Amino acid sequence: MIQDTSTPGAASPAAPGGARRGRRRKEYVAGGRPLWLLSPTLALLVLVIGVPFLIGTYISFFELDQYNLRNWVTAPFVGLKNYADSLNAALLLHSIWVSLAFAVLTTAFSAPIGFLAALAVNTRFRGRGLVRSLFLVPYVLPSFVTATVWRFILRPDGVFNKVLGLHNMQWLIGTNSFWALVLVDIWAAWPFVYMMTLAGLQAIPDELYEAADVDGVTWVKKIVYMVVPQIRHQLLLGLLLSTLNHFNNFTLPFVLFGTPAPNDVLTLQVNIYQTSFQYFRFGLGSAMSVASLILTLIPAFIYLKASRLTAAPGEE
Amino acid sequence: MGRLRKVTLILPLVAASVALAACGSSTSGSTSGSSGKTLTVYVGAQPNYPQQFAQWSKDITAKFKAATGANLQIETYSSASDETTKIQTSIVSGSGPDVYVLGTTFTPVAYGTKGFLTLSAADWTAAGGKSRLLPQTLGMSGPNSSTQIGIPVAMRPFGMIYNTALFKAAGIANPPTTWDELIADAQKLTKNGVYGMAVGYADTYDPWKFIWAFTHQAGGSLVSKDLKTAQLNSPQVVNATTQYFDLLTKDKVVDPASAGWKDADAMAAFASGKAAIFPMATGTAINTLDGASSAVKGQYAFAPLPGVGPGMQSLPAGADPAQTIVSGDNLAIASYTKNKDLALAYAKLSTDTAMQVEQFNLFGNLPTNQQALDQVLKDNPKLAPFADAEKGSTPTAFTGAFADIENGLANVVVQSLPGLAKGTYDVSAVKSLLDAANSKAQQSLNRAGQ
Repeated sequence: MIQDTSTPGAASPAAPGGARRGRRRKEYVAGGRPLWLLSPTLALLVLVIGVPFLIGTYISFFELDQYNLRNWVTAPFVGLKNYADSLNAALLLHSIWVSLAFAVLTTAFSAPIGFLAALAVNTRFRGRGLVRSLFLVPYVLPSFVTATVWRFILRPDGVFNKVLGLHNMQWLIGTNSFWALVLVDIWAAWPFVYMMTLAGLQAIPDELYEAADVDGVTWVKKIVYMVVPQIRHQLLLGLLLSTLNHFNNFTLPFVLFGTPAPNDVLTLQVNIYQTSFQYFRFGLGSAMSVASLILTLIPAFIYLKASRLTAAPGEE
Repeated sequence: MGRLRKVTLILPLVAASVALAACGSSTSGSTSGSSGKTLTVYVGAQPNYPQQFAQWSKDITAKFKAATGANLQIETYSSASDETTKIQTSIVSGSGPDVYVLGTTFTPVAYGTKGFLTLSAADWTAAGGKSRLLPQTLGMSGPNSSTQIGIPVAMRPFGMIYNTALFKAAGIANPPTTWDELIADAQKLTKNGVYGMAVGYADTYDPWKFIWAFTHQAGGSLVSKDLKTAQLNSPQVVNATTQYFDLLTKDKVVDPASAGWKDADAMAAFASGKAAIFPMATGTAINTLDGASSAVKGQYAFAPLPGVGPGMQSLPAGADPAQTIVSGDNLAIASYTKNKDLALAYAKLSTDTAMQVEQFNLFGNLPTNQQALDQVLKDNPKLAPFADAEKGSTPTAFTGAFADIENGLANVVVQSLPGLAKGTYDVSAVKSLLDAANSKAQQSLNRAGQ
């Protein structure tokens, strides 16, 4: 057990003083405290994630609906029928595609905005604190508030159309609804990438900038060859978390479009909600959740491996 | 395995078990003993009437205490989804509020869960009796007159509101009694930036009611009489759906922008004088129309919706007038309650004349109590058309599958909105959407029969 917890990278040359820290960690673990300290977290994880997940997986093999909800353990066993229905009748693949496209596009658009905003406020100037605070406003607003406000802005006679000089353009129905969702989520979520980038930027020592200035390096080259490599890990982590957040965003499409949602914005989360809590097919909804979890774990795992975000410190 | 690891693994499981047990054993707040009992009721919040809701809560709590000696705890939900979630968790855990206020179209779904008490004759007597209630309001209390879970507590039949000044200017003397007349009047009224009708096509709740009414008026129904066969793709329903869309695409009596309107937008268009008829209103509209920002104050009147469908001069034999669904609220008592007597006493109090009149005065909900209704109509004669509409009401199918039916029709309209926004729709696409909705509804009906 002691050997398991000492990380390979702890003694690597990439981590100065790693060998010393490794020894200290072994001694610490040998005292038996770290695992004890984990137990409340583990208990909560089991309660909040483990138990519901197991029950959800169990339910996915049963025809649990409004008729047998009261005695849910008596719901008839239907094997893999719910999984087959997910793929055929419940538009699961369509919803995964919508969610994926939405998550990737939103991240792709919000990343450069957040990155540039972080660069803009990284150097000192008068009023920087205020600007930094203002940048966080969209992120700290609850999704419910953001969606409600944008629902008014995007009405046919709303401010958005008036500003753009469009007459009665419908943003909340049909194909446009997808782009409306992307737009609103970019507005709400770019500060997350901004925060992650800013945290990385602040870790870059001033000496590096000074050395680059002495060498006459242009600002573009500074960003490409100095800044980006230095903040690569924070940026990649930010992009991964951002994509996952967008993929799992329920409140925004739910409040913005209501239910039943237009098919163009029938995201996975909204689809599962509709199936489970409006059509009362809890078994089918559970099967959709489990199937989507498996399907989305595959690219997530590949991404994590490729980006080395799960690598131990110092491990490349 | 070391001792430490064993403990680490066991601890979370113990904690989880304890927490789950605690969740399962929680009660609704009721206490044992007659004097200290508490009845918990779950009612819709009234965000537009905060002071009135506080007044109502205070009054009914005091009256309940005086009548029973027990306390009343009022819990609120802010949306239908809040309510459904609460019902689901309460039914699964066997604990929660003792009494729920259910919408009439949700009552069959609640009945399907078997989570609510079926009222016996003695229960009805304890709840004040059926005889004092308007008979039509009992149409959504249960599958038949001897099997009922819902005690009608509020009536919200649908009718139309029309702008009397615009009607007079157009030379229209009386409100229409057939849909053809209504459409003809609306065409006459559509001019100078004013549209004949205001319809919220993108609304979540109302579009299906048009389709339901047109279907029944053509002699069809959404479900067979024996509640075994879904008929959402029947010719009557297909025709009803296209007739509803035709108001915008063919008759052109509604604002093209209404493809993106909710009902509140449609009401706003009527209240600002930009539309002459608002066809799916309830009596609560009076609060908006008499408000300070209303442009139609003193220039509007109510009328029942036509009982003869589009394209017809009279109702076909065997068809229902379906002027409105049986709409309003029912009280339903959770089957797990330990306070059945108190729940029935609460129902008796809620449906008595005084509380029913107060409910109208505070929120605009019409009474289900006949005596209270007479009193309200005497003081507010302009609401009489809603009482007439209730008499021409037709109950919706009392099946646990009604959520699938309602959501299925709503989905047909939602997916057709992009076409409607362009002033058109594809009949084959509508049929295809109705086929899919029918398939889901049929599956639900099949499961209900198992």
